[in-house]
Amino acid sequence: MNKKSLGFTGVLAGFALAISSFVVPSASAASEIVVWADESRGPNLTKVIAAKGDWVPGYTVKIVTFSSFDALKEAFDKATDATGPDIVVGANDWVPTGAKSGKLAPITLTASVKARFNPTQLFDLTYKKSLYGVPIDVNNVAMIYNEKLVSSAPKTFGEMVSYYKANKASKNLKAGLCVAGGGMSWGAHSVFSALGADAYQFNSRDEIVYNRTFNYPKFSNNIKTYLLDGKKSNGFFPATDTGCKDNFLAGTVPFAVIGNWEWKDYVAKGFAMNLMPVPGVTADAPGKMFGSVSGAMLTTYAAKHGVSAGAKSLMTDFFASTSGQVAYQALEGRPPAEKGAQSSSAVSAGQKGFGAAASTAGIPQIGAFLNNNKGGANYWDSAPAFWTAVLVDNKDVATESKKLANIWRSNTTAGKSDL
Amino acid sequence: MNKWLKQDLWRHIVALTTAIFALFPLYLVIISSFNSTGSLQITSFVPREISWNNYKLLFTSPAIPYLTWMKNSLLVAGSVALISVVIGSASAFAFSRLSFKGRKPGIQLLLLVQMFPAILAISAVYVIMERVQTFAPGIGLGTQGGLVLVYLGGAMGVNIWLLKGFVDSIPKELDEAAKIDGASEVQTFWLIFIPLATPVLAVVTLLSFIGTFNEFILARLFLVDMESRTIAVGLQQFIGGQYSQNWGPFAAGSIIASIPIVIIFLSLQKYIVNGLTAGSVKG
Amino acid sequence: MISVSRGKLALTAKIVLLALISAIFLMLAQSAFAQKEYVIGVFLFAVILLTLFTYLTKKSIPLKFFLPGILLLLAFVVSPILYTVTMSGFNYKTGNIVSKDEAVLQIQNRAFEPDSAGTSFDIKIGTFESKPAILVSDIENKRYFLSTFEKRVPLSNGAVTLNEYLVAQSAPGFSPLPTDQLAAADSTYSGKRFIFKDEYFLSLEGLDVAIVARQTLTYLEQQDVFKNIIDGTIYKDNGRGNYQAGLDSAAILEPGWRAPIWFENYSKLVTDARFRDPLIRVFIWTVVFASATVLTTFALGLLLALALNKPLHGRRIYRSILVLPYAMPSVMSILIWGGMFNSEFGAINALLGTDIAWFQNPNFARTAVIVVNLWLGFPYFYLVSSGALQAIPNELLEAAAIDGANPRQIFRKITMPLLLQILSPLLIASFAFNFNNFNLIYLLTGGGPRNSLDGEIAGATDILISYTYQIAFGSSTQDLGLASAISLIIFILVASISLYGIRKSKVLESFV
Repeated sequence: MNKKSLGFTGVLAGFALAISSFVVPSASAASEIVVWADESRGPNLTKVIAAKGDWVPGYTVKIVTFSSFDALKEAFDKATDATGPDIVVGANDWVPTGAKSGKLAPITLTASVKARFNPTQLFDLTYKKSLYGVPIDVNNVAMIYNEKLVSSAPKTFGEMVSYYKANKASKNLKAGLCVAGGGMSWGAHSVFSALGADAYQFNSRDEIVYNRTFNYPKFSNNIKTYLLDGKKSNGFFPATDTGCKDNFLAGTVPFAVIGNWEWKDYVAKGFAMNLMPVPGVTADAPGKMFGSVSGAMLTTYAAKHGVSAGAKSLMTDFFASTSGQVAYQALEGRPPAEKGAQSSSAVSAGQKGFGAAASTAGIPQIGAFLNNNKGGANYWDSAPAFWTAVLVDNKDVATESKKLANIWRSNTTAGKSDL
Repeated sequence: MNKWLKQDLWRHIVALTTAIFALFPLYLVIISSFNSTGSLQITSFVPREISWNNYKLLFTSPAIPYLTWMKNSLLVAGSVALISVVIGSASAFAFSRLSFKGRKPGIQLLLLVQMFPAILAISAVYVIMERVQTFAPGIGLGTQGGLVLVYLGGAMGVNIWLLKGFVDSIPKELDEAAKIDGASEVQTFWLIFIPLATPVLAVVTLLSFIGTFNEFILARLFLVDMESRTIAVGLQQFIGGQYSQNWGPFAAGSIIASIPIVIIFLSLQKYIVNGLTAGSVKG
Repeated sequence: MISVSRGKLALTAKIVLLALISAIFLMLAQSAFAQKEYVIGVFLFAVILLTLFTYLTKKSIPLKFFLPGILLLLAFVVSPILYTVTMSGFNYKTGNIVSKDEAVLQIQNRAFEPDSAGTSFDIKIGTFESKPAILVSDIENKRYFLSTFEKRVPLSNGAVTLNEYLVAQSAPGFSPLPTDQLAAADSTYSGKRFIFKDEYFLSLEGLDVAIVARQTLTYLEQQDVFKNIIDGTIYKDNGRGNYQAGLDSAAILEPGWRAPIWFENYSKLVTDARFRDPLIRVFIWTVVFASATVLTTFALGLLLALALNKPLHGRRIYRSILVLPYAMPSVMSILIWGGMFNSEFGAINALLGTDIAWFQNPNFARTAVIVVNLWLGFPYFYLVSSGALQAIPNELLEAAAIDGANPRQIFRKITMPLLLQILSPLLIASFAFNFNNFNLIYLLTGGGPRNSLDGEIAGATDILISYTYQIAFGSSTQDLGLASAISLIIFILVASISLYGIRKSKVLESFV
């Protein structure tokens, strides 16, 4: 380096130091509780939080909205304590993985807060006896029928099939029953169950029975009777949920399983909320549907960010409170999980109808069994694969039913240790 | 007539058939965008109505900041394209013209790095940008600046490769002449190479622009705020659900987003062919 | 030098620019250190030194051209790749994500066991004898007391003032924390143990409530084991990222940490049929898919180039239409095609008058993938083939014609070999690109359909990269270590194919 450039370097270093001394790195606000949510819940939570600024005195709450549920999940999977959220609003099946991986932190609710919820809802957010979140909305499905086509509620599965066969040509029906909400695994459980296949088995005392398959010979006979015409699908029940909602709204499908988050779309098109469980093969055995909750979950990052107590307060005083859930669900339109909010007059008939259908034929959604893949595939993958195999690929229904029964049995048995 | 049949007819048949194949999806999108039901369902291949509802929705619905998304995409893709071409062409010039130790292994290494399935390194990129976020919030996670930086890193390899191909084709005599006139390497680069390479630079800029415009995996993780999203993320979100009623706005949004790119592309067509033969694949 | 004054101006500009850049980086480095991001801080410092060295001295002229590009590559491409490759040697999956220190800390935090009655008290946060303290109201029993980290001070009922819910608001010697100071004091109080009785302590569950709990596990740092205080069970580091009791691999403490397991992820791919078999199947489809794409796009592109290789009515219009698929942003085109193949409403079924479940059937799904990729890719080969055709000297073709060769012979013996020679690097590059064509698969089929009933974890249209993405990020349980191992294998495959191609083709040999 020559003399000249040495001089320049000196000037430079001085200049640089001068600038850098002016800039003090801004420490992130320690009083900010960051909540991550998806594209539907995020904007509504933002509005509710903004309307009443002091849910937790002394703290500010910032809602971060992701472009989709998948993007939210992906970001949460990748996040670390540097920028991770303090609370994440997600599905109940995030609890086991989040807890195992050290992303979610347990919370302990006081007896009075616990009493605001149905015990099965809290169980949905429990992993190995610890609770990881508070339930904010109930997710379930129910069957709706189009009263312009069908005059009264069907009592058995067979009644629906007969209606379809009799009116298929004259009313230009595209299908009899289809799944519009919740997909061919979660949403379709009530159809599986109506035909005799439950994801796990209960005894007469409502205890789970391990190492037992559902009655697959009976189930495959029911499929043959009601869904098949020889080896091929009779068109009553499509193997995918594609177009189900559009077809129902267009009046070309008389029965549909719909999700409780989308009932407004049906009301907007002039449909009455004729909600009911999927009728079973016999009149007294309706198909059981999963009921699950979405929760506001506490993360381990809250403690790292020094807002642990504040975040816990936000969970109990906002997310788990009557006033919080009423204000939020007034915008979001899902059935609230909190008991006080459920009975609030602010909750609409549509929201309540789902609750009623779920209480007549609901079973708890147990992630430990459903997410387990010891049998070769978890419930979520094996269920839609079954419909495709039988209704699209025309595979032998008895063989496929047996496979499905064994997969679910292995998963349930292996999942016991994750309860 | 006979001769025409023999010589030209097959050419027309081939070109016409392929043109129909090329246009078919575009035609469908255009029809759907003018369909007021907004549904994916094709009731007729001949449009029965022209409704501007889907377009209106894009520009009036407060839930869809379409113009902001578009602006973001142009901004992010534009800055990545411009900066990466400037930096990339300097490197390409060095690889092509200057002799130094490690030139050959260097360029082979550059080629190899490109072949790593980058999508799997996403977790690492995410963690790096999270760390940056803690001390420099302006260029960390969630900012367009941070995304641009990450894209720049990714664009470097391809662009250097592409540009090197072109620099090689410029006769060496030109810069040797400049050298004799006493110009330094840096001056040769700015005063001789850059003016000569302008058409190719334009093409590489465009290709790099399109590549960035198309990216959504990183963008949807990085750009969380509604107001900061790019058009690829925004439009993908439209049809994320099973419900097909969003198809109309999606179609309209895609058309508007494509128009500027298609126009630039068609007007630069002649140069693009040269750029492509220098070694690119659409990314 | 062009002129002296201009040179001086340039020099000044250069100095100012360098000073600015250094200042910005120095500032960043300083804040990085302040936030304890040492690796990044050191990197930023190195950037400053390297920049100054490069642009102030004349030691290395090539470096003046390279430096920005290399730095960007290092920061955002090379270092993530190295990190990913390193992770392939770790047990890094759902359940084993955090570092060991973090895991130890969290196991301790989780070992707070509430008492059997689930007792909780309303509290108020404040200080007592200038130490953090909570004012506890046992409303049921009408008892009030103060608790600090060291002691518990009972209070007489007369000494405290109560609010309407009978929660104590103040007590002698206790100064409640004002609301605006709560947030700043959060970490002083939460997660801490305030004295209650025996092994039980009070722990905050919010700003105004505390529960009674005890610690069930204790960490013995010297032996690096966890001990259950109640039943005496010892949990030892099992070498795979978990504390485990005895030999039962299910009796582990959660969370685990990412622990080095060296080559296990790789050996699993070879020895474990559950991973090996789908990998082989996916690899075969990946090769078929990439080859089919290159062949179909090249064939159609070349056919078009030949058809339009002479003046023809409407040639310009054809040309403009034919490049449209290439000009359209591909994310949008793929999504549009996805809609067209929709089994219920899609245009394809409407056009063909069929009722095919395109994405449910493996072979239809594969066909759809190749058709869409043909649409996306043929304009590229049309453009480059046209360019290459024009590069073939006319004299060569004329000479052959004079020698009596017919057009077909000319094409087979002269045009085609020459074309292949010019285009082979592009064909190889296209193969390599499609080998890793993630966007197409991800957006069109998501890799499906998957025959899960027969235990298949890979879908029918999954290519290596989408399959790996699925393992790394897709399902509810993720295995980043295994995915990293596969990605290194993909890398070696693609790199060998490309290097082989480079060696083979003379054109690229001279290029490198």
